[in-house]
Amino acid sequence: MMLRASHTTTYLYSDQVSICHTEVHLAPRDDRNQHVLEHSLTVDPMPDMMFGHKDYFGNDVMYFSIHEPHPTLTITAESVIEIAQADPLEPALTPAWEQALGPEWRNSDFHALKAYQFVFESPRITLGPEFADYAAPSFTADRPLLEAAVDLSHRIYKEFHYDKEATTVVTPVTELLESRRGVCQDFAHFMIACLRSAGLAARYVSGYLRTGGGIGSEASHAWISVFCPGFGWLDLDPTNDTLVNGNHVTLAWGRDYSDVAPVHGVALGGGEQVINVAVKVAAVEE
Amino acid sequence: MNQEIAQPEEHLNEWIYEPNPGFYDEMLAADGTVRPHWRKLIEPLAAMGGAGFARRWQEGRRLIHENGTTYNVYSDPRNTDRPWPVDPIPLVLDRLEWAAIESAIIQRATLLNAILADLYGSQRLLRDGLVPPELVFPNPAFLRPCSHIPVPGGVYLHIYAADLARAPDGRWWVIADRTQAPSGAGYALENRLVSARVLPDIFRSAHIHRLATFFQTYRETLRSLAPGHKENPRIVLLTPGPYNETYFEHAFLSRYLGYTLVEGADLTVRDNRVFLKTLRGLLPVDLIVRRQDDTYCDPLELRGDSMLGVPGLMQAVRSGTVTVANALGSGLVESAAPASFLPGLCRHILGEEIKMPAVATWWCGEEPALSYVAEHLSKLVIKPAFPSPGMQPIFGVRLSEEERAALIAKIRKSPGSYVAQEQVALSTVPVWEDGPVRPRHLVLRVYAVACGDSYSVMPGGLTRITSSLDDLVVSMQSGGGSKDTWVVAGAPTSQLSLLPSATSRMDISRATFDLPSRVADNLFWLGRYVERIEPAVRVARAVLPRLFQESDLSAAAAVAAGMRVLAGLGSIRTETQSADHHFGSLEHEVLALIYDSRSRNNLPSHIRQVRRVAWLLRDRISGDAWRVLNQLDQQLSSPPPPEPLRISGAQAVLDQSITTLSAFSGLVMESMTRGDGWRFLDIGRRLERAVQMVDLIRYGLGYECSTDSGQLEVLLEIADSSITYRSRYLTTMQADLVLDLLLLDEANPRSVAYQLARLREHVDALPASRSLIRRPAEARTAISLLAAVQLAEVRDFMCVNSEGRRDQLESLLNRITGDLRLLSEALTREYFSQAGPTRQLSMP
Repeated sequence: MMLRASHTTTYLYSDQVSICHTEVHLAPRDDRNQHVLEHSLTVDPMPDMMFGHKDYFGNDVMYFSIHEPHPTLTITAESVIEIAQADPLEPALTPAWEQALGPEWRNSDFHALKAYQFVFESPRITLGPEFADYAAPSFTADRPLLEAAVDLSHRIYKEFHYDKEATTVVTPVTELLESRRGVCQDFAHFMIACLRSAGLAARYVSGYLRTGGGIGSEASHAWISVFCPGFGWLDLDPTNDTLVNGNHVTLAWGRDYSDVAPVHGVALGGGEQVINVAVKVAAVEE
Repeated sequence: MNQEIAQPEEHLNEWIYEPNPGFYDEMLAADGTVRPHWRKLIEPLAAMGGAGFARRWQEGRRLIHENGTTYNVYSDPRNTDRPWPVDPIPLVLDRLEWAAIESAIIQRATLLNAILADLYGSQRLLRDGLVPPELVFPNPAFLRPCSHIPVPGGVYLHIYAADLARAPDGRWWVIADRTQAPSGAGYALENRLVSARVLPDIFRSAHIHRLATFFQTYRETLRSLAPGHKENPRIVLLTPGPYNETYFEHAFLSRYLGYTLVEGADLTVRDNRVFLKTLRGLLPVDLIVRRQDDTYCDPLELRGDSMLGVPGLMQAVRSGTVTVANALGSGLVESAAPASFLPGLCRHILGEEIKMPAVATWWCGEEPALSYVAEHLSKLVIKPAFPSPGMQPIFGVRLSEEERAALIAKIRKSPGSYVAQEQVALSTVPVWEDGPVRPRHLVLRVYAVACGDSYSVMPGGLTRITSSLDDLVVSMQSGGGSKDTWVVAGAPTSQLSLLPSATSRMDISRATFDLPSRVADNLFWLGRYVERIEPAVRVARAVLPRLFQESDLSAAAAVAAGMRVLAGLGSIRTETQSADHHFGSLEHEVLALIYDSRSRNNLPSHIRQVRRVAWLLRDRISGDAWRVLNQLDQQLSSPPPPEPLRISGAQAVLDQSITTLSAFSGLVMESMTRGDGWRFLDIGRRLERAVQMVDLIRYGLGYECSTDSGQLEVLLEIADSSITYRSRYLTTMQADLVLDLLLLDEANPRSVAYQLARLREHVDALPASRSLIRRPAEARTAISLLAAVQLAEVRDFMCVNSEGRRDQLESLLNRITGDLRLLSEALTREYFSQAGPTRQLSMP
């Protein structure tokens, strides 16, 4: 299936911004389940320069700077992606979750070593026994990894409220344990904290959900991925209580939100700022 | 050991002490005799005698004070800086012993550099299991954006420092590595300048290795590693700013090495290049010597919470247009955790045994180490495995039984976050303080700079000492001291210094070319603040003696005029200016002007402003000018003398500060190169003097009643124009003549007209005035101001209106004041353009 994604981020400033330096993670990744057919990035006002590179995790990053005073900044990313409908994985067929504990496989090969970095704390995700305790009822002895993870995702879905007002991009994950409310980013951070505290490798995935395909489709979306030796990375979307299916488009992955924020930047001046984000993802008629 | 040494050495009694058996003493062998290489120092000291040495040290202290050598202490509420604590007796190291240290440091620097190159590159060490990934992946010092960035010459560590401690058996151990932006090399140099000054004869005769070659190598290395292989790359030294603890050193080193000292806001990234913002536009920067930690260097990619860095710097580095020294990300090998893996890595990478091991270190992330630590906690020091600001080392020996249990529980919760180190019983060294000598513990910081594909070690270093014998940690932050380190050479050493000689130290010559806008701004304000002091001093000096001539009518009028001026300047409360007010309370007001540090317009507050802005210009102010400003500071911030001496003491202070101010003006006029820096300093002075003069005329001559000869005399005195007046008009006091001299006479260097004429010249010479068809705003203002004064006629101003005011004069004065403000604003806009702080865009 072919999807067309359009993602517009607008900043409105109360004062002019004289200089800004910005980094965006807005280009979809090419991988076994998705193939990028088209991608374009438009910035208004026109940047002095734009320069792309791959970050540590292999994501495409675009850096740009604007040295003319500007009262607004609009960043538009347009992409056309071919999504492969992968056969759904039968959770019961995955190995017991204990075999997925980091030290069991970290030295098996270089890919495993790369996956191993997702076992640890990261800037936005602290670990602790409280998260391991939350995960424990799902991770009973010898339970297949994906089955346990789906169960954890399901519990989070049931016990947490989707609430756009409850959190900000900097709400610490420890607070979520208490408040049990937030947006897709918080759901993902919390689930990752649980998986890592249980000793598993889990990463944060930033992307889009097909419009109308579930909660979080009107803005940029986020979910998680857990590492299963022999199977690779398995994606789950705790906000929608689902395995990642043909409705998801992957932009970037990292340890947490701070590695892959769709847009982040530094500005000189600007005063108050208002930000608007609009995402549309629809099937392309063939 | 040696027959002659075993002799009783009574003549040395003053210089030795009882060595503590539990520790190695640097100077004394276990039997209490002086070690041979220390004799070259101690014998001449003994010959000099304690009293003679104390006198010389007095001189050394003066030097430190006058050079303004300081170290900022974050938590010191009194002030941000305090004198750099240095002890006059150097640590002496023997040539052979030094050779061993030297080769061990070269090996270690080479090794750490290779480890960085691997971890930020192919990560073979992780793949081969030689470095546990647990030490790298969760380490906040592992900066992923720094992976695979171009690193010219493969040099990550351009300069490297190690803290060494000597155990009781005499062996040296590495107790810490400094790999990001090691501090202290500049202080080591400053200590050398002091010790060579206090002990010149001994220093020469003992053949001590010089330090200058080390810095020359550093400079050469940096030059060769700037991109583009330019003959003369532009190199800047990036400091976090004057509130950093080692800002003095940044200023000192930048001048010593000849690099421009910059703050993050002085640099900007455009088109993947770093530029320095100067008065003459943007100048490309080739290499940045950074004195701030990795994460603070680029708020865009390295996520410093603070905005100290240069947004976009990582991108410029990635494009290969600029070199950062030390390379960004170098902090990774600074943490204590990898130390325990270094011996194995040394064999693997360099194929040799490690020459100087780190003090025994256990990383608690491994089970056997953890249980060892839990059992032996009382003998260990616990440190964070990864950099964690604010966490101090914990000494097991100091903890109670319960505290130990609590600490072990805490470690077990997150074992990978902690390391334990054996606590070294630090060696001792003689310290003079105020004499006689006594022992203190020491840690030696040694430095290496990259040189080709190897390293070159500074023959000496920074010896830091504990504040007492019971102290276990050496810390400048908590009151320790430092000393010079002498490495005895086999033969006489060559003379070489990079420091310009004292006479040429009034720099600012390079300011003509790359004067950062921020520096021009600060020079402008230095000029203004210094000039603000003088009128207040002169008024007080004119009024004070006249307060004691109560019977003299002209003195009373003079006092009234003086007080009116002071009130006009905002230096005293207005209600005290009424003529019939009791002189006693006037006296109180004048003394408050001199001594009361609380009010905003008093001398102590003016001098505080001078001190603040002078500190910001530490690298731009010559040694001589610095001493003069220091002197002024002391004169004007000294506490009031006791009651009977208060008036005479105040008069002495006022007289002295006038002389000191003149000395400063003299230096500015005679010793500063006529570049943009000088120009902005002088613009500040002229502008402020014009403002003050206008006020003086307004409050002194604006009213009809101000024709009394006593008043006119005091005005001339305040304006420092009495002699000129008398030479022209003898003793006749006439308001119009005084006004002409103070306002319109371009030949009088105190007159308003003179200041305006100088301002016009300066503004015409500024960059923006040169190539434009249309004159910039500041030039137009300066021209019209000067013309207004040149066209004015004194007799028009003498007419008095019905309220007894000279309103024509008043309107001219008001115009001048207003235009001066416009001029100042136009300069600020054109040249300083103080940009607001940068901040993060909010994230979607």
